[in-house]
Amino acid sequence: MVKVYSMTSCPWCVKAKKYLESKGIEYQNLNIEEDEAARVACQQLSGDLMVPVITANDKDYVLGFDKAKIDTLLGIAG
Amino acid sequence: MAKEHRKMDVVVIGAGMAGLTAALYAGRSGRSVLVLESELVGGQIANAADIENYPGLPGVDGGKLISAVQTQAENFGAVVDEFDPIVRVVLSAQPKIVETEGAVYEAGSVILATGMTRRKLPLKEAGRYEGRGVHYCELCDGQAYAGKTVAVIGGGNAAVDAAEYLSKLASKLYLIQRSELRADAAAVKRLREHENVEILLHTEPRALSGDKRLTTATLFDRKTEATRELPIDAVFVNIGVEPNTALFAGQVELDAAGNIVAGEDCRTNLAGVFAAGDVRTKEVRQLTTAAADGTAAALGAVKYLRSQSK
Repeated sequence: MVKVYSMTSCPWCVKAKKYLESKGIEYQNLNIEEDEAARVACQQLSGDLMVPVITANDKDYVLGFDKAKIDTLLGIAG
Repeated sequence: MAKEHRKMDVVVIGAGMAGLTAALYAGRSGRSVLVLESELVGGQIANAADIENYPGLPGVDGGKLISAVQTQAENFGAVVDEFDPIVRVVLSAQPKIVETEGAVYEAGSVILATGMTRRKLPLKEAGRYEGRGVHYCELCDGQAYAGKTVAVIGGGNAAVDAAEYLSKLASKLYLIQRSELRADAAAVKRLREHENVEILLHTEPRALSGDKRLTTATLFDRKTEATRELPIDAVFVNIGVEPNTALFAGQVELDAAGNIVAGEDCRTNLAGVFAAGDVRTKEVRQLTTAAADGTAAALGAVKYLRSQSK
């Protein structure tokens, strides 16, 4: 399952989630403002609390909205 | 593989307040409308947490406001695509060509509403720390500095708004401005009420340093000409904006600052091409004037399309 670490008002988080939806990719939205476990997991994964962070395997991730990198990470065909 | 050609009455480039208002009006006039955005839908206000001066909606969240305008435009048939960047435009031709990574659009009229982007911090080492202490999105990256010492660089409304947002997260917040503050008095007054805020006027950053992350900013006091080192975890840069017009350079007339030359009717030097919002030459750049421009540009485009079909 794809995970998106996000915050409520973060515009690039909104864009990242809309992009996944436009590609028909299901994801788990993990709000680091509201969910302490998600906050800890986000920090462990990326070493920081900047969002959005997108991962599919809890190891490799993309920080920020970068379409090309997200496509590569998730194997999305152009 | 050859790209698909699609015909549209109006292509709007940019989905800020001006572009989406234009889409709303052109769509409501029965025209097919495509809005293309390669950055954030909402433009600069996508980052605004609390807008105090939009009539009728005091304290509205920028993201919610722009989402409502987008829905209004879509309800009149406009299509907003934020995932297909533009690679080329030909504005003097008829129809006009807007080529994206995925398609070639032939448009009867084009509305340029690409707005402005934040100016980068003009220090050669700033790029090295981008994302590691130098930031341009408070709402995305501010949380990482909860309980830490941060600075906002700039003195306009956007800087003061960013400072107020970050002051609620940071243990200490510096607002660093090279001259006097230019922000609205009400916003400055509100910021000064936060005890953890210190405003450093006539001060500018001269250097950034740190091993893997930013740890220190070297500040220069322009009045005393003193230099000092400020331990800092992050700086959020709000030192103004510049027009997004590189895509149209050489086609549509620009002024010396790069703004598209157009009057209140939003007409450019090219027939059927309109400029709306902050990207247009104008005195006042506000959300309200962006909405007004979107209206004028769309109605101008509809009139132009009508004249072409006679």
